[in-house]
Amino acid sequence: MPTYYYLLLSLVLFLIGTAGVLLRRNALIVLMAIELQLNAGNLAMLAFARALNDTKGHVFAFFVIALAAAEAAVGLAILVGIFRTRQTVNLDEITLMKR
Amino acid sequence: MKFISNINPANAAEMFVFFVLATATVGGALFTVTRRNPVTAVMSLVATFFALAGIYASLSAHFLAILQILVYAGAIMVLFIFVVMILNREEISPVSFRGIITRVIGVLAGGYVAWVAAWAVLYERHSSPVLAAPKVPLPPNYGTVSTVGLSLFKDFVFPFEAISLLLLVAIVGGIIVSRSAKQEEQAEETIRKLREIRERSSEAPESPEHAPAHH
Repeated sequence: MPTYYYLLLSLVLFLIGTAGVLLRRNALIVLMAIELQLNAGNLAMLAFARALNDTKGHVFAFFVIALAAAEAAVGLAILVGIFRTRQTVNLDEITLMKR
Repeated sequence: MKFISNINPANAAEMFVFFVLATATVGGALFTVTRRNPVTAVMSLVATFFALAGIYASLSAHFLAILQILVYAGAIMVLFIFVVMILNREEISPVSFRGIITRVIGVLAGGYVAWVAAWAVLYERHSSPVLAAPKVPLPPNYGTVSTVGLSLFKDFVFPFEAISLLLLVAIVGGIIVSRSAKQEEQAEETIRKLREIRERSSEAPESPEHAPAHH
């Protein structure tokens, strides 16, 4: 399998994730779209690791997975905290920092 | 279909598996981003991660494929489902039309970046040796737990320890950020009691119930 197939798939995944981050207003879906973007990066790293016959890309993908776990935990905790005080997860209504 | 005619039949099965998994991945991702109900979005994201794990396995990244299923489809998505159950709000309209000009500019910029990246990959796909199929066969232990683990503990020990620290900070931060006002009051009450106990014990260290029993 040529590597560029995997790269194009990674690009499509990253694009879908970016569209989700930019267009959706539900903060939960935005967090899921960020997970999609991280996975697209992982896929590109693993594809290049195989193309270069190197294991370092696997280690980096491992770090990205751990980072995604931390990001999901803190992000969801912030969401729960926002929902407790403001009763919404709509990103258009969370405008406290604008005023 | 020029690229099918010059295909090696040994690679046909691999290509078939790749296209099935890639379709599942892209379809699941699209479903995730477009669904209004968050539970449906979480479930299709789990399906996306399973298909991605299959693609990782086809890249001979066996350890990362297992990790993808354990950590992403297991742990992270369970966390998401818990939060969806806590919040449980459906949106009135999924896509926002407030600030539409900024969003259109953002999407156009993102599309331009994607177009440049896709063009670069497709333009170089025959001339660059990295983008073609690997010529040298991979070693048999490529991507196994022992290989990745050796690299992790030989070359990346300090990043590994840093990431464990990051996870610890994330756990503590998650607990502190998400606790309610009542829990916060209770925690402060507990801290106050503990401080009182410590002060009392430091004031009277030679009181009879705390004295050493050797005489």
